[in-house]
Amino acid sequence: MKAKSFWAKVVAVTFCFPVVYLLLLSVASHWIFPHVVPQSLTLNRWYSLLTGTNSLFGSLILSVIIALSVATVSTFLGFYTSKHIAYHRSRTLWLRLSYFPFVLSPVIYSAVLYYYFIRLGLSGNIVGVILGQLLIAYPYAVILFSGFWNERLRNIEQLVQTLGGNRWQTYKRVLLPMAQGLLLVCFFQTFLISWFEYGLTIIIGVGKVQTLTLKVFQYINAANFYNAALSSSLLVIPPIILLYFNKKFLFKRHW
Amino acid sequence: MLEAQHISKAFKNEQVLDDLNLQLHEHETLSILGRSGSGKTTLLKILAGLETPDAGRVLNNDQDVLSLPVHKRDIVYLYQEALLFPHLNVSENIAFGLRLRKTDGAAINERVNDMIQQLELEGMQDKMPHQLSGGQKQRVSFGRALITNPSVLLLDEPFGNLDADSRHSMQHLFKRIAKEFKITSVFVTHNVKEAILMGDRISNLKDGKLYIYPTLEQFLNAGENMVQEEIKFWQSISETKKNSN
Repeated sequence: MKAKSFWAKVVAVTFCFPVVYLLLLSVASHWIFPHVVPQSLTLNRWYSLLTGTNSLFGSLILSVIIALSVATVSTFLGFYTSKHIAYHRSRTLWLRLSYFPFVLSPVIYSAVLYYYFIRLGLSGNIVGVILGQLLIAYPYAVILFSGFWNERLRNIEQLVQTLGGNRWQTYKRVLLPMAQGLLLVCFFQTFLISWFEYGLTIIIGVGKVQTLTLKVFQYINAANFYNAALSSSLLVIPPIILLYFNKKFLFKRHW
Repeated sequence: MLEAQHISKAFKNEQVLDDLNLQLHEHETLSILGRSGSGKTTLLKILAGLETPDAGRVLNNDQDVLSLPVHKRDIVYLYQEALLFPHLNVSENIAFGLRLRKTDGAAINERVNDMIQQLELEGMQDKMPHQLSGGQKQRVSFGRALITNPSVLLLDEPFGNLDADSRHSMQHLFKRIAKEFKITSVFVTHNVKEAILMGDRISNLKDGKLYIYPTLEQFLNAGENMVQEEIKFWQSISETKKNSN
């Protein structure tokens, strides 16, 4: 029991160390090798971020808007679409098509589609980036939900109808509550897909849509480690918060 | 009264129902006997609106219901499996149909409690479906269907998954409840004894056509149903026993 607890602590420390290191680097004003800890600390970067004077704040808000939009739309659209695919005659064909963006690789996929984004005036703006990311997140959601639908669930749906439930009531009172755990997993996963997306965002956004992930790479390329650490901390914190609030649904089945 | 007129249905090249006619009187239970794949489930699904016939009409109290959406037909279809909603407890499963109809909360509580007593499910109100036995699940499923007082109840081999004891107990419970609630129902089974026990009238679905027997005697004497096979079976058992003695 003690050994188990010891190894659990080792694993926890291993996972927490990079986050703590990033946070420490983000408040360091002077930290040069071979010093193990920073020689001096400053909260100026965090202060300028919270007061909105740092351009990272805008990127944070932009990333939150894009990730929430992509996660919400792909989760609900994926749920609805996967149902129709599951009961369709050509179910296998549609499911194979859902894998297409992943087989091709998201970056190549976006490069191939870039021409259409330019023609539609979606290149270099937030709507284009959201749509571009949806091209990845939406099929992912469809694949994730495809295992949820089966003959038994179809019978439950039909039973609800014969009991007097219309289509909306069937979704609201039965299908959505039954899929609650999976919906949260999907929302979380698609949020992360969008949150950490780089290649597709830089191609469709042509560098004009400055998400947090793009900022991290820019700071790293410019060897600005302290700001890279600050932006990386911002990049890591929301998924941790999301994971904390959803842990009971992500790791536990209720019925 | 529920009436099906000249119903035909084919899947690909297989004619499942062929110019089938059915009349179901108020407060009666019609047993439909048939072998697997004879079209029993297809017929029930057409009556419920879950399947569309290739030809024919379905009338409920002289109103053509074929064009009505399923949720407006007032015909409840019960599957072999209880299909309780896993996220709702026993009370909420039973109350489901009333909640859909936005019935007053106090009235729902009163009717659910009454139904729980009728179904002999006292003390089970707060249990979740996975905590119930097969028979208890089927009782809750009945309660959920009956509480909305549907004009017709369609039962598709509802006791098929139960063990012999639970099946026997559920048959008697259904008979009692059908009488008390004045239920109009179609009871589908492939079990001859169950068909005789549950039905006020008995019918046989064969080659896409439904043969309804006005009396039990006529059913027993008819040559083309499973009764004769059942009689032959028990006679052979009896003779074997005599010979061994």
